[in-house]
Amino acid sequence: MKDMVMVVDDDPMVQMTVRRILESAKLKVTTADSGAACIQEVEKGFEGLILMDIMMPGMDGWDTIQTLVDKGLVKGNIICMMTGKESPDDRMKMLKEYILDYIRKPFDQQQFIKLVKEYLSFL
Amino acid sequence: MCKLKVAVIGSSGAGLPILNSIFRYMPKLRGAIILIQHMPAYINQSVRDNLAAHTRLTVKLAEQDEPLKPGFLYVAPSELHLKVVANERIHLFGGEKVNYVCPSIDVAMMSLTRDPAVRVMGILLSGIGDDGVEGISHIKRMGGNTIALEKKATTIGGMADEAVATGHVDSVLSPTQIREALIKHLGEDTGKPNAADRSPK
Repeated sequence: MKDMVMVVDDDPMVQMTVRRILESAKLKVTTADSGAACIQEVEKGFEGLILMDIMMPGMDGWDTIQTLVDKGLVKGNIICMMTGKESPDDRMKMLKEYILDYIRKPFDQQQFIKLVKEYLSFL
Repeated sequence: MCKLKVAVIGSSGAGLPILNSIFRYMPKLRGAIILIQHMPAYINQSVRDNLAAHTRLTVKLAEQDEPLKPGFLYVAPSELHLKVVANERIHLFGGEKVNYVCPSIDVAMMSLTRDPAVRVMGILLSGIGDDGVEGISHIKRMGGNTIALEKKATTIGGMADEAVATGHVDSVLSPTQIREALIKHLGEDTGKPNAADRSPK
């Protein structure tokens, strides 16, 4: 089972908080503060679970995932949206087969860790 | 006489943990289950492995032309649509996406045909969009049993909500209740003959 998680979020507080939670569960965490940074990390070889924010300046979460798909970079990764938005918008419909979950912030920490480990078990 | 009991489960975003809940401790059953899960191809095998670790059903990736057998859970491979031919055999085929996906839940469910000797159940879990909504209606019109996942069990209730709105869903259930419904509808395989199988629906 892989144990690498990438937190893609332009908010440094979110990055820090999620890193702390996941590292407490002995998972390895890398962060990206933008869609472009996420793509760079994947191009450098990241494989694992990607927790993707939606609302980011520049490339939003949906565009980032579409770019990963178009560049053939999704393989070896599981992508879950992680967002404060109440419900996914229609753009998720076209990416349904690549986005495995929609995790709403704020979340219960223990349930979040359980969910993250469950998704990592599929890699 | 009932010659086959089959359930088709449609699942999309947030569906994998729900499937694990449904199939945890699932005994061997007297019917066949087909799972259409929207997912990338590179996790097909690990999804199969995860489910197989939870249940006494025989879990396999569906293969071309194979007959549906009781006690099996067939996981539809990604990038191919799945149809059931004559309510008894799997047919996989390429083609355009339907409802933005391939395999499509609607394609699978709507391939089943009315047959008094075949009992059918359709189950729709979580995910955005409406793939599976027509399929559930089709199963209902055929006289089959239809289930949607309850809203509070998922963050993405679109598909199940749309199905419920059609009025063609018999029950809205939790993952645990869905497991119980599958056991009840398909029957647990205890290794002994079941007199109920000989009675028509």
